[in-house]
Order: sequence, then structure tokens, then C-alpha cells
Amino acid sequence: MRIAEVIGTVTLSRCHPMLAGYRWIIGVPYSLKALKTKTAPDGEDFVILDELGAGNGHQIGVSEGGEAVMPFYPERKPLDAYCACILDAIEVK
Amino acid sequence: MFLARVTGSVVATQKVKSMIGHKLLTVEPLRVDPAKRDSLVGTGRTFVCVDTVGAGEGEMVLIVQGSSARMASEVEKLPVDATIIGIVDTVNVENKTIFSANG
Amino acid sequence: MQLAIIVGHATATVKHPSMTGWKLLIAQPLTMDEKPDGEPQLVIDNLGAGLDARVLICNDGAGTRKLMDSKNSPVRWFVMGICDDR
Repeated sequence: MRIAEVIGTVTLSRCHPMLAGYRWIIGVPYSLKALKTKTAPDGEDFVILDELGAGNGHQIGVSEGGEAVMPFYPERKPLDAYCACILDAIEVK
Repeated sequence: MFLARVTGSVVATQKVKSMIGHKLLTVEPLRVDPAKRDSLVGTGRTFVCVDTVGAGEGEMVLIVQGSSARMASEVEKLPVDATIIGIVDTVNVENKTIFSANG
Repeated sequence: MQLAIIVGHATATVKHPSMTGWKLLIAQPLTMDEKPDGEPQLVIDNLGAGLDARVLICNDGAGTRKLMDSKNSPVRWFVMGICDDR
């Protein structure tokens, strides 16, 4: 999972029925440099499905690709990013 | 998933049989302006995606990529790797609305 | 599998239930000449890898779910071995 900072949310006016009712957040991934220097994350932002209630400023672990669909097993959903955890603390040397 | 704006459509007469009847749209992925985070900026890239929600040119959409793109029921058996799964209403960054479909 | 170096760790209270009890380490994947390769990844570990340890991390989702004894875990990377010191 990559580590990302939540910077916002997205709402949809229309969506595929398999994804109705979910919450979508925008995350910016951390590079190693950003983690080590404790500066703002600098990767390319992407949209993530969130079921944990992550808010702006939270650091989260994002599961991507095929694993993003696993929490819904045995259902399959067209998802490629899922918020798997909200990090309380990160320690990087 | 990523945000993108629909820029046009693609018509392909010669294609894999299972793709007949599916709408193909060209989109430009957008990202949040990394410096000021107050708007969405184009990335200059273009993708061709299968549409499952009836998106039109100029609309802002949400796109899923990779093998998950085939998990939408209509495209399960199709050789696709990018699917439009939603039409965006608002994008809110740092408590400001930086995009709204209505204005 | 990929070579990586442990650069830190993280804790999380709010998380997918399958992750309860698992240690979360932050690993920087490396190329074969030990340069950073891509973004750091959160990996689960039950081998006790420490800070600065060179490890092998595995990307097999099905293998991870077997390790965690879970049918629906979103975790993908786990530490599958700690490299011997040179």
C-alpha cells in the first residue's frame, strides 16, 4: 500500500450502480523524501474509495489494483484504489 | 481512480467483436494544481475509455484503470483497461469547492 | 518479489479488520543496484524486520491473504525474508 495524505473529496452526480452510495476522497502519495523530511506529499493525486471516514490532513494507507476490490469479496467492483487504514503515527528515520 | 474531462469520442469500425455497441470516449486526465491546490489542471495525456454512465463531451468523469476496469458488469468480458464509472458533481480540496458541475 | 530497505514503521487504529494484530513497516523498494525504485510501501511483517534491514518484499495478493488467513484483506505487500548481512 502506498501512503497518501487526504486533501479533499469528490461527489458524483451519476455513477455505476455497483458503486452507488460510497465516499470518494482525493489522496496525494508520499515519496521517500517527503516522508523523511516530513514535508507535504508531492506525488500525483488520485481518487480513493473510503469506508473509514478519513478527513483532510489524515495520512492513509491505500490499497491499489486488484487488492482494492478484495474488501468486497465475493462481490467484484470496478475499483482500483481503497483506503485500507488511517495512520495514527508514522516514524521514518 | 482519477478525474478526467471527456474530450471526444472514437469510432472504430474494425474491432474485436465483443466491443460492438460500446461507446468509446477520449478523455484528458486532470490533477489538482500541485502548487496552489485551488483548481484542476490538465495533464496533457489522452486515454480512450469505455463509457458505462452516459457521459458527454466536456463532462468531468471518474475513471478506473487496470484489471478492475473489467469488473463493471457491462464490460466483464471485454478487453478494456479503462472504464468511466461516474460523472463528477463537485471536487472539494482543503474545504474549498474547486470544481462544480453546475457553475 | 523485490528487494527493499525498511525505513520506518506506522501504526493505525482505524483500519480494515483483517489488519488487526499485524505490524506495519514502511519499506522502500530498491533496484538491484540498491537505488530507490518508486514510492515507499506499507508492508505487513511477522518476521521482526528492524529499521535499516534489507528485506525481500512480496507482491502476491493471494499469498498475502493466505498468510493473514483472510478472504478479503486489501493488503498486498509482505516481508517474506530478511537478507543476510554482507
